[in-house]
Amino acid sequence: MSALTLRGITKRYGAVVACEAVDLDVERGEIHGLLGENGAGKSTLMRILLGLETRDAGTILRDGRPVTAGSPREAVALGIGMVHQHFSLVEPLTVWENVILGDTGRIRRSRACAEIHEMSQRYGLPVDPLAVVASLSAGERQRVELIKCLRRDPAVLILDEPTSVLTRAESAELFAVLRRVVRSEGRAVVLISHKLTEITAATDRVTVLRRGRVVFRSATAATDVAELARQMVGREVADAAAIGLIPAAPHAPEKAQGDPALRIRGLTAPGLTGIDLEVRPGEIAGLYGAEGNGQAQLGDVLCGLVTPDAGTIEVGGIPVDLRRPGALHAAGLGIVPEDRHRAAVVPAMSVAANLTMKDLGTRVWLDRRRLRRRARELAAEFGVVAASLDAPLSSLSGGNQQRVVLARELSGDPRVLVLAQPTQGLDVGAAEDLHERLRRCAHDGMAVLLISTEIEEVLGLADRVLVIASGRVAGELRAAEATPEQLGMLVGGGAG
Amino acid sequence: MTRTAAWSALALLMSAMLIVATGGSPGEAMQALVRGSVADATAVSVTLLYAAPLLLIAAGACVSASAGVFNIGQEGQVLIGALAGAAAGLRLALPGPALIAVVLLAGALAAGLWAWLSALMHRLRGVDIVVSTLLMTFVAQQVVALAVNTPWLLQESRLGRATVLPQTNKLPPGALLGSLGGYPGLQLNTGLLIAVAAAVSVAVLLTRTRWGFRVTMLGLNPTAAAHSGVRVTVVTGSALAISGALAGLAGAVLLTSPLSTNRLQPGGSLGLGWDGLLVALIARNRPLLAIPVALLFAVLRSGGSFLAATGVPYYLADIVKALLVLAFVAPRARWGRPAVA
Ligand SMILES: Nc1ncnc2c1ncn2[C@@H]1O[C@H](COP(=O)(O)OP(=O)(O)O)[C@@H](O)[C@H]1O
Ligand SMILES: [Mg+2]
Repeated sequence: MSALTLRGITKRYGAVVACEAVDLDVERGEIHGLLGENGAGKSTLMRILLGLETRDAGTILRDGRPVTAGSPREAVALGIGMVHQHFSLVEPLTVWENVILGDTGRIRRSRACAEIHEMSQRYGLPVDPLAVVASLSAGERQRVELIKCLRRDPAVLILDEPTSVLTRAESAELFAVLRRVVRSEGRAVVLISHKLTEITAATDRVTVLRRGRVVFRSATAATDVAELARQMVGREVADAAAIGLIPAAPHAPEKAQGDPALRIRGLTAPGLTGIDLEVRPGEIAGLYGAEGNGQAQLGDVLCGLVTPDAGTIEVGGIPVDLRRPGALHAAGLGIVPEDRHRAAVVPAMSVAANLTMKDLGTRVWLDRRRLRRRARELAAEFGVVAASLDAPLSSLSGGNQQRVVLARELSGDPRVLVLAQPTQGLDVGAAEDLHERLRRCAHDGMAVLLISTEIEEVLGLADRVLVIASGRVAGELRAAEATPEQLGMLVGGGAG
Repeated sequence: MTRTAAWSALALLMSAMLIVATGGSPGEAMQALVRGSVADATAVSVTLLYAAPLLLIAAGACVSASAGVFNIGQEGQVLIGALAGAAAGLRLALPGPALIAVVLLAGALAAGLWAWLSALMHRLRGVDIVVSTLLMTFVAQQVVALAVNTPWLLQESRLGRATVLPQTNKLPPGALLGSLGGYPGLQLNTGLLIAVAAAVSVAVLLTRTRWGFRVTMLGLNPTAAAHSGVRVTVVTGSALAISGALAGLAGAVLLTSPLSTNRLQPGGSLGLGWDGLLVALIARNRPLLAIPVALLFAVLRSGGSFLAATGVPYYLADIVKALLVLAFVAPRARWGRPAVA
């Protein structure tokens, strides 16, 4: 009897079918991979299981008994626990407080701490129960999430894209812990991912979702990366990086010419210490590192949201006055920041407004005809699919929102283009499209800085890789010579 | 839309029940409301007189709310506007039209500056704007009280042995807003014209100008606005100053319109600052939509004073107003359990 059985689970959001007649069996003692590109319906399926969404049709069986969780609390009672794609810890609280959050009855710190201690020994999840969560790295936070989840003793443990915030080494540790959990404790684990290599490395069986349907299932050992890639996307994909694979042969390096278009010297700000980097016209420089090592802060500085404590930024050889709003943009730096909804777009404003908001002209009155024409041109050039240019930006899919930002940033013919985690949340087609565009930009002489936590993306696109760790540039490698192992060492703060 | 209608119906039903509960008859109350507000030319005139300051205040509130800055100090800004207007009208000897213009301008400028002080406090000390605009209302009330109680400031002159009251002298006729055209019984005060013009200007300003675009951006996503090169402190400050200026203009209009005694008195704002804020709230910060809403509130104002005659406590008009506001705000609230990420 399977630990968990789903039969005919269907969920629609208006016209979008997120899950359609999904069948899934998860056995005790196995790690079951759920693979699918962004938007395939993986998270929705698990949210239904957890009682965070209601299903339109289908049944859920736990150990053969039909069940329905109305809320995550009920799911816990049914023996189902989940570590979400986005962490749900309370940052100002300590680890032990977070772990027992939601418990009823008397709270005893010493007992909670002892329990956490015991669990971290048992599973190999080192964590200090008295530390404040805000001070922890992404990897440590994940351990806290795991302990919190395992403490409720779930028979089925679900992890939604758990490695997106981890370094390779941390991912490997996580998989080792999961192996222990299934082997010695007989739990069932569902590992959700859109990365092929993880699925093949860590799972026993795999189910592939495409546009809400199960299109393939197999024992992991009986299939291979190429097959899974084809099933996931539904066609052959040439761009290996777009499906989370390291390209077989490094691409021919572009000829970087002339003086650096972007030169950052001694940049120091909260979370950054003395960043030095240069990007020349015609090259793609990758800034690789695990999440939370200063990329967000660097992004904020380059967005003009944070004025650095020290250091200079030169665009085209001219120092930029970073205190002036919009100075970097005016100097010719285009940027696609990591968290699009925070800094790059105004979701409630129209697509047209978002396409033109950095180019309103110099007069008091808006030239609405010109702005409209410009927006229409840009939307067409960049293939933005929108019901109307007047529709709010939030009505667009992630890939199309990304295109809007990219279109706007490239519309000013920048010398330098900075992208942070540009393919996060994009499906494979959109990611391929974006990668192709970046290669073309560099080919046309733009200096491109790609900030990414995806090693595949960096190795697939960059001519040169810089590694960022703890807010410093820890080393630099030519892409042709860089291997995942070398990069992994630098990321971990090892020898450079 | 239908939900709003349903909620409004519910609000009206509850109002009717309240009237019954206090021993009145809803039918009579309704009649009184109509009689006091729209039944004849005189009533309509009074309603329109109330509509003008309400609309001005609401148009200003639309500006600040669009920028994401919540100015709730209109009541005080109205008083400051009236104070500055009174000072200008009483102290300056100018020919008619020029005097009116100066009175209105003084009111707008003073209150604009007054509201801008809140932006300054936010900039320098991080004082929350909602809190400071609100508290500045109480300061404004004291400033006005001081001015009308101090003989060498603006208190009325002593004539013979009559006792002096805490109020200013009457403004000279040349400083008062006149009526447009001559219709028997109906007065169309210039103030209304000014208010409508202001509402239209605000609409144009917000939708057609670069500044308006930036204000809107700032209100919807301040981080993205800063990233796009918007000078956040400048735009915030100017939006706040404009909203204060319009409230101040409302104060000056109120002072110089037939609605008041044409003297500055401590309670001279009549609580219209709060009402104007509600008008903007119901109009969802759209200045043109504020025009009909301001008229509705003006009806409740002018009709409300007639309610007392039917034995219904007049403050029921306030309760009706509050219920209506809730009816318009409630459909926008999210119901059920909150979405979980
Ligand atoms: N709350 C929602 N409202 C509308 N559409 C949604 C909602 N949640 C998910 N979707 C849509 O359902 C589809 C599946 O999404 P999701 O389950 O998050 O995919 P995945 O986790 O595989 O990336 C997507 O097209 C997404 O846009
Ligand atoms: Mg997901």
